[in-house]
Amino acid sequence: MEVYAAGPLLELNKAVPSFDESGLPPVPFSMKVMPGDCMVVEARDVGHATMFADLCSGLIPLDDGSVRFMGLDWTELGDRELNALRGRIGRVTHRASWPEFVPVHLAIVLQQLHHTTRPIDDLVQDAANLAERFGLPGLPTENPSFLPEDDLLRASCARAFLGQPHLLLLEDPLEGGPAELSNSFLAAITEARDRGAGVIWLVRNNAVWQEYRQGITATWRLADDGLVAVRMG
Amino acid sequence: MSSEEIIDPTVQHDASVRRVLLHMVLPFVLIIMTVGAIAWVGINSYRTTSEGVSVLTRELMEATQQYIGQEVGDYIAPSAAGNLIAGGMIEHAPPLVSDKVFYSYGSVMLQKIPQLQSFYLADDQGNFTLITRSPDKGVQDRERLVVGADGKKSFHHSLFNEAGQKLREFETPAGEYDPRTRPWYKNTEKKDSIQWTQPYLFPSDKQFVMTSSLRFKRDDGHEMVFATNISLNELSAFLDKIKIGKTGSAMIVDANGRVIAGRNLMQHAEAAGWDPNKMVLDPKTYPIFALGYDHYRVRGFGPKHVEWDGKTYIAMASALPRYSQGWILLIVAPENDFGSFAHQSSRQSLQFAGIVTVFSLTLGALYIRQLRRTEAGNRRLAVQQSQLAQESGALQQVAIAPNLFDPSAEPLAITEQLAQVTGARRASLWRFLHDGAAMVCDDTYDRTQNTHSGGFEMGREELGKFFDAIEEGTPFSVSNAATDERTTRFERLVMREVGTHALAVYPVHGPHGALGMLALEEPVMLPHLLYFVELMASIAGTRFAAQSAVEAQQTTSVENTALAPVQAFGAPKSDNLLMHAEEMAAVTGASIYPSVAVLVVSFADPVVEGSKETATLIALINQLATQVQTVAQEEQLFAVEVAGHRMICMAGCTTEPDPTALFRLANAALKMRETFMGALAAADLEPVFTMGMDYGPAFGGAVGQSPTVFNLWGQTVSLAELMAESAIDPGTIQVTERVYANLRDRYLFRSRGAFFVPHLGLGRAYTLAARR
Repeated sequence: MEVYAAGPLLELNKAVPSFDESGLPPVPFSMKVMPGDCMVVEARDVGHATMFADLCSGLIPLDDGSVRFMGLDWTELGDRELNALRGRIGRVTHRASWPEFVPVHLAIVLQQLHHTTRPIDDLVQDAANLAERFGLPGLPTENPSFLPEDDLLRASCARAFLGQPHLLLLEDPLEGGPAELSNSFLAAITEARDRGAGVIWLVRNNAVWQEYRQGITATWRLADDGLVAVRMG
Repeated sequence: MSSEEIIDPTVQHDASVRRVLLHMVLPFVLIIMTVGAIAWVGINSYRTTSEGVSVLTRELMEATQQYIGQEVGDYIAPSAAGNLIAGGMIEHAPPLVSDKVFYSYGSVMLQKIPQLQSFYLADDQGNFTLITRSPDKGVQDRERLVVGADGKKSFHHSLFNEAGQKLREFETPAGEYDPRTRPWYKNTEKKDSIQWTQPYLFPSDKQFVMTSSLRFKRDDGHEMVFATNISLNELSAFLDKIKIGKTGSAMIVDANGRVIAGRNLMQHAEAAGWDPNKMVLDPKTYPIFALGYDHYRVRGFGPKHVEWDGKTYIAMASALPRYSQGWILLIVAPENDFGSFAHQSSRQSLQFAGIVTVFSLTLGALYIRQLRRTEAGNRRLAVQQSQLAQESGALQQVAIAPNLFDPSAEPLAITEQLAQVTGARRASLWRFLHDGAAMVCDDTYDRTQNTHSGGFEMGREELGKFFDAIEEGTPFSVSNAATDERTTRFERLVMREVGTHALAVYPVHGPHGALGMLALEEPVMLPHLLYFVELMASIAGTRFAAQSAVEAQQTTSVENTALAPVQAFGAPKSDNLLMHAEEMAAVTGASIYPSVAVLVVSFADPVVEGSKETATLIALINQLATQVQTVAQEEQLFAVEVAGHRMICMAGCTTEPDPTALFRLANAALKMRETFMGALAAADLEPVFTMGMDYGPAFGGAVGQSPTVFNLWGQTVSLAELMAESAIDPGTIQVTERVYANLRDRYLFRSRGAFFVPHLGLGRAYTLAARR
């Protein structure tokens, strides 16, 4: 991955999401994520957190304002470019995102297979390393319904970090997940930031990220009046 | 864009749309418009030409028709007009000279007008005189009907030459001939205009003849009839000769459809048995004339288009002028005869349009090609400009690097910029040591990982050919370093770990030969980059020279320093085995154990904040270690090895398979888990350990010499470690499929699923729960 250094990695500029399409409050959202930043966004509502991640990924139509990722406005791109640009984003989401007809190992490497020309052997090697790193004994080959929830969360992390994405939209895998995932998750975040990736960590409560508080760039709260900056005491 | 990405999202799609519009659609539209314009002009031209041809054809036909009409009129006129003149002359001449007038007139007319055959003069008293051509050339036969003394009628013939001299006289019998009974006489009855008889044939000389006659009253009160025989053969010959278009022809028919004159008249007459009444237009003989005649009967005079045998003809029917008694002139000509030049013109227009179209297409293709070349040139220019900018930026980065020439500072900027500019996966800087006996890596930059490393050393003994190639001082590059004998060893030692194949080597020159090298793995070496690489090599050369000077000073100071005596390491007081079986003493060398059961216990690092807690923790660890020793001895394990926060328990380290080893180790694992849980719970701690087991062949034995220690390694140990590291929950024992397969009858397991591990393959993981 080449480090993007031409400005903010992600920029929400008074972006007003369509309420009909997202359920997010139709108020201007403004935020800037620079390469290497880690933003914690506190969202009580899991659905809102997912929608906010969608907003950052250009999946939600805007009533006003703009969302730019790597300097490109989502609304100004064609479908092919949109999809290619989303290939640079890694996501952990609470929305059901494991297709039942695809085994987990394939679902993990699918995104990279689709967007890049990387050889499958390399991808499998990287995916297996990430899987082991997140506490799996290898790359899971079962269908998603046969895997325990904790292992699916681990696989989600492996999928999100595969391919060294520029932006990570992480709906907190730690809360309710296995405790030992915490170390590898935080280590992976740190490593991604070191190589220039931006991280938006969507959490439900404060407790989860306290362990990493020194590494957080800024904290925000997703409230009815939009994104509110939270003072880090 | 990453080189691995299929689509570059930063390239705007609308630019390509514009390009497609400019490159493909615009020329295409222009060509279509050009071709359309040519086609439109061609069609219009064709229509105009066709209309013109049609008008021209009609006019030509009309002109021809007028001409033929005129000719026919002229042909007949001597007969009809002659009747009037001769009639007038004879009418008022004294009776005694009327014969002379008649003969004079007839003689001159027969000499001058070839179509006239003969003249008759008869009166109401039955007198009859005739002048005609004799069968002998230039001789005229003057006949008179005479009644002999015996009352018999005879024709008195007097033959005259052209000079008017009588040649001889003779008589021929006339039978009962009476001119008043002849049709030409009778049809003038009570009429004072010229009357025509039906055409009739003279089979003797095969002449079709018609007779025009005029009745007049002489001054003495007698009525006379003057008649002229006119041959139609000459008219047919005229019609035969006349050219209408290329292959057109004309025919004269009367109002009843009988052929009066036309081509092949004699054959037609012969076919009709020399009966003029049977010489009608036969569709078999004259199909197109018959069609034209039918059209005339239905639609009247004028030009008509008729089709016969897939060919279009123009058939024109027109009335002939006066004296002709309702004769109809039929003209038939193929349309092509008149329109062929129009077709030729159309064909030429088509060819012209084709040529213009081909030219347009060629021009369009050239235009597209030129545009693409221009664009490709612009792209190359942009790439070169960006490369120039990149190189300038890289040079600037190198230039502003602090202490660039200071050998004690790491040359990070050089390797980084080399990798960035050349697109190499890795760029490394190597320096000769010990007068070329070895080479050390000052810095390696991995572009994909964005990491630096260094400090590796290679000896000339291992890479002699590689060293020689560098010392030759010439840059070289190989596409597959593994197959080139100069670089094979280098590839194995350095490149294989990252899987690179192509290698470019640039020796770093000093005043006395090569000082080292720049190595680029998987570079995209463009010719113009060479100067940048050489510039970097020069900078590196300066650094290496400075480094050599520093090292020379250091060597001197070291040599001056007295070497301290080397202290021999004493034998270790204990090894890292928490417990070992007595059999271990008998182990002398390393060997393969076919069925080793390995249990790895991994502890998480506890968080300790105070000295009191530290003491408690140490006591707890000690307690756990003691309990492990107890369990190990109870279950007769082979050894328990501790290393940091890991503990490796092993059983079955024998060259012969030990079938009970796995059961003993599983029992030990369950006991240890129970013991650990109890002890940790007593200390109010969460279960901070995970356990993993595998069973299979492993390498093991005594290694080293003073001290000699026992070690076990191999895939079984690695897998047991992997199982411990990836156990689903703290305090659980995760085992491999091999363990499950051997223990499933005696122990309870919970499946975790199937997993793939590169180089090991697919396997399942289970959690060992309890004994059955």
